[in-house]
Amino acid sequence: MDLERFKVHGEPLIYGAMISIALATIGIIVGLTYFKKWGYLWREWLTTVDHKRIGVMYILAALLMLFRGGIDAMMMRLQTAAPEMKFLDAQHYNEVFTTHGLIMILFMAMPFIIGLMNVIIPLQIGARDVAFPRLNAVSFWLFFFGAMLLNISFVIGGSPDAGWSAYFPLASLEFSPTVGNNYYSLALQISGIGTLITGVNFIVTILKMRAPGMTLMKMPMFTWSVLITNIIIVFAFPVLTVALALMMFDRLFGSQFFTMANGGMDMLWANLFWVWGHPEVYIVILPAFGIYSEIIATFSKKNLYGYTSMVFSMLIISLLSFLVWTHHFYTMGQGVMVNSFFSITTMAIAVPTGVKIFNWLFTLRKGRITFNTPMLYTLAFIPIFTIGGVTGVMLAMASADYQYHNTMFLVAHFHYVLIPGAVFAVIAGFHYWFPKVFGFRLNDRLGRHAFWWIAISFNVTFFPLFFLGLMGMTRRTYTYSAETGYGPLNMLSFAGAIGLSIGFLLLVYNIYWSTRYMPKDKTGDPWDGRTLEWATGSPIPAYNFAVVPNVKTRDAFWSAKQDNIPLFEEKITKIHMPSNTGKPFILGVIFFFFGFSLVFSLWIPAILSGIGILIVMATMSFDRDHGFYIPAEEVIATEKKLRGETV
Amino acid sequence: MKIDASKPLEYATEENSNKIFGFWVFLGAEIPLFATLFTVYFIMVNRYASGPSGREIFEIGPVLIETFLLLSSSFTIGLAIHAMRHGYKKAMMVFMAITLLMGLGFIGIEIDEFFTYIHEGATLQTSGFLSSLFVLLGTHGAHVSFGFLWGVAIMIQLWRQGINPATANKAFIFSLFWHFLDVVWIFIFSFVYLKGLM
Amino acid sequence: MMKQLFPIRHVIGYIASLILSAAALVVIYMDLSTTVDLVILSITAIIQASLQLFVFMHIGEDADSKKELYINIAYALFVGLVTLFGTLYIFIWGWYA
Repeated sequence: MDLERFKVHGEPLIYGAMISIALATIGIIVGLTYFKKWGYLWREWLTTVDHKRIGVMYILAALLMLFRGGIDAMMMRLQTAAPEMKFLDAQHYNEVFTTHGLIMILFMAMPFIIGLMNVIIPLQIGARDVAFPRLNAVSFWLFFFGAMLLNISFVIGGSPDAGWSAYFPLASLEFSPTVGNNYYSLALQISGIGTLITGVNFIVTILKMRAPGMTLMKMPMFTWSVLITNIIIVFAFPVLTVALALMMFDRLFGSQFFTMANGGMDMLWANLFWVWGHPEVYIVILPAFGIYSEIIATFSKKNLYGYTSMVFSMLIISLLSFLVWTHHFYTMGQGVMVNSFFSITTMAIAVPTGVKIFNWLFTLRKGRITFNTPMLYTLAFIPIFTIGGVTGVMLAMASADYQYHNTMFLVAHFHYVLIPGAVFAVIAGFHYWFPKVFGFRLNDRLGRHAFWWIAISFNVTFFPLFFLGLMGMTRRTYTYSAETGYGPLNMLSFAGAIGLSIGFLLLVYNIYWSTRYMPKDKTGDPWDGRTLEWATGSPIPAYNFAVVPNVKTRDAFWSAKQDNIPLFEEKITKIHMPSNTGKPFILGVIFFFFGFSLVFSLWIPAILSGIGILIVMATMSFDRDHGFYIPAEEVIATEKKLRGETV
Repeated sequence: MKIDASKPLEYATEENSNKIFGFWVFLGAEIPLFATLFTVYFIMVNRYASGPSGREIFEIGPVLIETFLLLSSSFTIGLAIHAMRHGYKKAMMVFMAITLLMGLGFIGIEIDEFFTYIHEGATLQTSGFLSSLFVLLGTHGAHVSFGFLWGVAIMIQLWRQGINPATANKAFIFSLFWHFLDVVWIFIFSFVYLKGLM
Repeated sequence: MMKQLFPIRHVIGYIASLILSAAALVVIYMDLSTTVDLVILSITAIIQASLQLFVFMHIGEDADSKKELYINIAYALFVGLVTLFGTLYIFIWGWYA
């Protein structure tokens, strides 16, 4: 067996990473043993089926991945800060930008959003859990082990290096003979299955488990955005599943899907990837819009303006998102009529988004605005995202796009929609809902400091890239000569990137500082909130609501407080809860080995793990554990402790 | 567990109804999955390079048998659920067993078909057309195979526990899966084999 | 829910499906134009698929979820057909002249 394939050579940085990973792993194992926390870890976290715990794990993973992706970004900005820098050679630069994209979109933004969905949605709809708690745990562990598989590539075998979009023929076996892109196809496939399951889970949860009286048009806007997002997930992810499988067949089994001879069609990969890829960016942005709707309404102390049009705009966006994908490859050879059709649909999709921006502005108008950290991110989002949006309309025009395509102009555009759009939203959501989960707020002064560093540095980092693109600088290039004149703007961008790092470090410091010094909030409603999640205690009891609320209006909690409409009218009875189970975690571990075996074409371990997967699925089928009951007395006692009175 | 006696057992609890609904959503996801495989096939149908085309390798005989087997098994699983709703456990088990056996027969013929093609020099690696043919048929066949194992697991549970809300729910969901596989086969039959031999 | 014992709807559905499958064979045994062939295949396949969906899978039998299930299938078909016809348009019918 050729052991050379497993090793990654040369770079001191990579050796450094290997040593850090080994040390961190040893540190974790030693720490858990010393503090005798293995039992705790297994019982409370690895086997949990509680949506709140699962959500916290997703967000923790996302924060760790944010830092890994951020380090990738710093390395890229450093390498391109001046002409002919020798920090990263071309191969490693390729691996870094590929990993940066994969991690930020699939292993940072998606889990952060899915984590927030997990924690908040059942609470917002007045439910006690998601529809399928055990499958929810399966989703998390599949995501986690898919992410681990990708992360391990850096030190075992080599990372994927053909871009996050892995175009063929570059990503084919012929041009990428090392295992890097095998990791791509398998890690994404495993995580993708988890995401698809989440899609089914949340659609059923939102459609079938709302509290009595909460009709669809009385749901919070975040819930609406999550429903529509999960609908897109369910119908878009299968296309990725097929594309990745075909990639795996080409690279592992010699099929001719995306080859350049024998009837293969390399461009078909790009087509299938973007049929999924475009809906994917709407999957990332729609929940962000939902978060912004919640924050704006709460901190303007006003109803969200134009509720119905907000819902309809998201429905239209979801349908149109499947009709625009070719704008990612206008220059690839299809005819003028095709490009024209997709130009029109792409420009059309900007319209419903514009409707939302106006609705947010009208919500702010004449509101009593609180300028705290979540609100600052939201207010910054509106103008900065708009820049991203209008540059998107520029790119939408196919003929003009021949000039912009694959230049830094494109890179600037998508960072201008992704960062103010999705990243600011998850940071704002994190600050907004943090006290609900942990029982204390993050410090607002530190939060605002971090915000200003991040918001200003973001523009310093990315605005120059528009000009670099128009000057002709191509994306994904590891260096350039001094004669091109790209140097000064790249150096400016690098300065901005340093500012971004400072901002994110402040954010993390805030978490540490607040954990130590911020006072506990016992009310469960630190912001005078409008929606049902604020009607529970903090920290939230396992069963969420002692009594299922009876909803009569939109912003049900606000109406209950303002107009004295009672929410909780039933008596407390025993509550049914699902049991913890270790099977989802074990399934994740086996999937990891299955993926790893296929990456290295180790057929026997692959077959054995495949059988292992089927066995675990069978044990889940034969599982007759139907949960347990929390007796009414215990519920009453918990509520007394949390609130000081019975409901 | 509150049971709604006005509904069939498989729908009768909230959890049961949710599971059936969730499975329909999953089937909704399988539609784009197979649509994508069909898309790849149609793009590549004439890209047979130096290898054989569909016309040269398809044989209508085995295809008709496969179609008859799958269609009939769809009928028998329907009869099994019908028996289940009337409470006839033994009839249900018999119909399910026939369904699974016909499914096994289908897989046997398909495996034989694949080996015949390979023997004739038409492999996964020969051309874009053959790659897409094998993966489309193979994905469907893998679903049928998985369904066979799933069906066996359910039959074991039915044998041990009889018809109760949990087993009725699983059997009904399985039947949805099985019917769906026949729907996919109808399109394979029509647009891969018949169109290829037109 | 009808509680009649003899599964008449299933039997009719099954026989109809057999007939439709046999009818589709006409495209290989008769010499018709490609367009007519494709129309015949499409119609027989769609009717059979509908029989499966409505008669065998009872998609409409639970009033509480009927509407959502129809929307589910409609959305799924929308995505599937857009992927299929969009891709054919890009690569074949709309490829540069």
